Amino acid sequence: MRNTATRVRLTAVVAAAASIAVLAGCSSSGHSGSSASASSCEPAKGKVTLQYWNTVPGMDKVVALWNKQNPDIQVQTKNISNDQYGTISNALKAGTAPDLAQVGYDELPNLRTQNAFVDASACSAATAAKSQFVPWTWSQASFGGTGVFAFPQDTGPMALYVRSDIFKQHGLTPPKTWDEYAADAQKLHAADPGLTMTFFDPNNAEWFNGLLWQNSAQMYSYSGNEWHVTVASDQSKQVADYWQKLIDAKLVRTDLANGSTQMYAAYQKNQIASYVGAAWGYSMFRDNLPSQAGKWSIVPMPTWGGNSASGDWGGSTVAFMKGSKHLYESVKFNTWLNTDPQALALENSLGGLYPAATAGLKLPALSQGVPYYNNEKIFDVFADSSRNIDTNFAWGPTQKTVNLSLQDAMAKAAAGSGTLTGALSTAQSTALKSMKDLAIPAAAGK
Amino acid sequence: MTAVTVTETRAKRVVAAPRAPRRRLSGGGVGAGTIIAFLTPFFLPFVLFYLVPVGYAIWQSFRVVRRNGGQYGTSYTTFGGFDQYSQVLHNHEFWSSIGRIGLFGIVQVPVMLFVALVMALLLDTPLLKVKSFFRIAAFMPYAVPGVIAAIMWSYLYSPQLSPVVDILKHLGLQPNFLGPGAVLWSAANVSTWLWTGYNMLIMFSALQAIPQELYEAAKLDGAGNWTIAWRIKVPIIAPSIVLTTVFSIIGTLQLYAEPAVLRQISSNISSTFTPNMLAYAVASGNNYQQAAAISVVIALITFVLSFGFMRLTSKKAGL
Repeated sequence: MRNTATRVRLTAVVAAAASIAVLAGCSSSGHSGSSASASSCEPAKGKVTLQYWNTVPGMDKVVALWNKQNPDIQVQTKNISNDQYGTISNALKAGTAPDLAQVGYDELPNLRTQNAFVDASACSAATAAKSQFVPWTWSQASFGGTGVFAFPQDTGPMALYVRSDIFKQHGLTPPKTWDEYAADAQKLHAADPGLTMTFFDPNNAEWFNGLLWQNSAQMYSYSGNEWHVTVASDQSKQVADYWQKLIDAKLVRTDLANGSTQMYAAYQKNQIASYVGAAWGYSMFRDNLPSQAGKWSIVPMPTWGGNSASGDWGGSTVAFMKGSKHLYESVKFNTWLNTDPQALALENSLGGLYPAATAGLKLPALSQGVPYYNNEKIFDVFADSSRNIDTNFAWGPTQKTVNLSLQDAMAKAAAGSGTLTGALSTAQSTALKSMKDLAIPAAAGK
Repeated sequence: MTAVTVTETRAKRVVAAPRAPRRRLSGGGVGAGTIIAFLTPFFLPFVLFYLVPVGYAIWQSFRVVRRNGGQYGTSYTTFGGFDQYSQVLHNHEFWSSIGRIGLFGIVQVPVMLFVALVMALLLDTPLLKVKSFFRIAAFMPYAVPGVIAAIMWSYLYSPQLSPVVDILKHLGLQPNFLGPGAVLWSAANVSTWLWTGYNMLIMFSALQAIPQELYEAAKLDGAGNWTIAWRIKVPIIAPSIVLTTVFSIIGTLQLYAEPAVLRQISSNISSTFTPNMLAYAVASGNNYQQAAAISVVIALITFVLSFGFMRLTSKKAGL
């Protein structure tokens, strides 16, 4: 009996020791990473298997094509759309990160502060790829410097989707500037109180950021060894004030979430006349509102006083992850994946990706008229938009936290307490606080 | 003097009592190996999936992130004392989420448990026919996963799609189930729908355990059905009611699924609507240490509230 008690106690001790070992294992990983210095770019001897994590539907088929053509560089894909950044962050902590992973432009700085990437500029093929991508995408993937941490994959250049039939019915032509857009919104709503120009989704900071980007709002910059946070800049406030006026005058709705069933229902019932969207959105309307075929057109974004600048909403890169032992092969596959016309065509048809590669913009599928949109060459509009996106725009290292804070404050503003400009100030202080929490040196800019 | 005697007797009793079973134990050949074999399936997962994560969270909550140089730098964690806790306690969002959930619990828990109790009492009366049907019907929502239930209800709340909203509009009403003031109660309604049947079943099985003789005796004393219900049944099943209350308090503090789903269609649910949602939001911003501290504080509050409630009611409920 006594013996038993001792043994039970012993097992408890062993279990406790094991748990401490686990804890220790977890803690040590935090120290292991060194800053992203250029790694060597030696081709491996013999067969190599790469891991590639992504969220793109149909990507397994694209990779299968590569695997067939490249028996010595086999790629395994894993779909992590369930919890993209949670999966990546956990893998980084556990030291099991893949060779390549899909990372959105706005999450690049955040992951870089977690030492997630390896600089592939040691491979000449990586630096040479620069000329193959739309300029703003490369500046995002290289953090505006000489390093190469990711290759751009897809983009979301913005444009205005209009119900041309509703516009025609009310004697309107697609607006060229945001002022005209507001004036048209007024006319539509006055003519039919059940009709609004568009909706403002307060829970979609990514979309709103695209609008800020269009107005050359610089949210972050870096100099003197610290980040300068200018989330609530004059350019940002101009955009916020504009939408605040539309909300106050009830010219836009605030009760719809982008992409929700409710949103499609409102469009289906002809309650909304336009949609401020991105390139990847073209299939959303085509697939969810088949009965409105031929009623939609896509025109360039309304501009701020004739300045042709546009904005981007969404899109991703394929990043070179720290710990990869096969940088040479990773660069090779990544180059093919994001510049080869055959790969780009598959990604576009299966995953709906709008390419970041300049060659991709000339794909046959992206040069033809689209039946749903009256056979208009809608992708010409998006290609123009992509060319007009500010290359200096930079995301912050705690972008997700800032986005959540901005959304919460914008939702309050939409519900009548506070303003969108106030929401920008909230986001500004959240940015500073969240960076301080993670020991990232930051100060309010300008 | 008395104290010593008491201790001695107690000691004797302790020594004397287990003697017989002990012999039987060793005689039957139940060795240490058997005990370990039986305990391991419990203890191993318990340690791995309960003690270790809890220990890890507590350990994390005492760490802070530091960074070595540069725009992106290299991060590491170091001991930070109660730094994270002080931040949590000074976090305005944290306290408003606690306040929101407090309001939710004060209203939703009594309403739900009262409805559950009435349903359990009704099921227990001889007046009700087709009992098994009602029992299953009331329990059914519990079989629906919380997320699915929330999605289902979100369609009933949505002004674009809901037949309920359409009907109310035809009656001249302007319901807004997802508005800033209403959305908390819309979430509460989903929770109530989900959990009432479950709580009812716990109370009902307690009612089933009451011996029939008690009712006969009560009837002889002139008690009607009403009196039997409130004077005999309810006091006897009080421990079950306390139990369901404690479960509900814990469930309320951990509320996540219902508001998180409704958030998809209503911007009036913020990312920090409930304490758990706040912890998740902070963790998704890579501030795992602060998220750990939030979790520990939530756990402590849950502890204090549920044990506080048990202590408060233990005498009355006869626990």
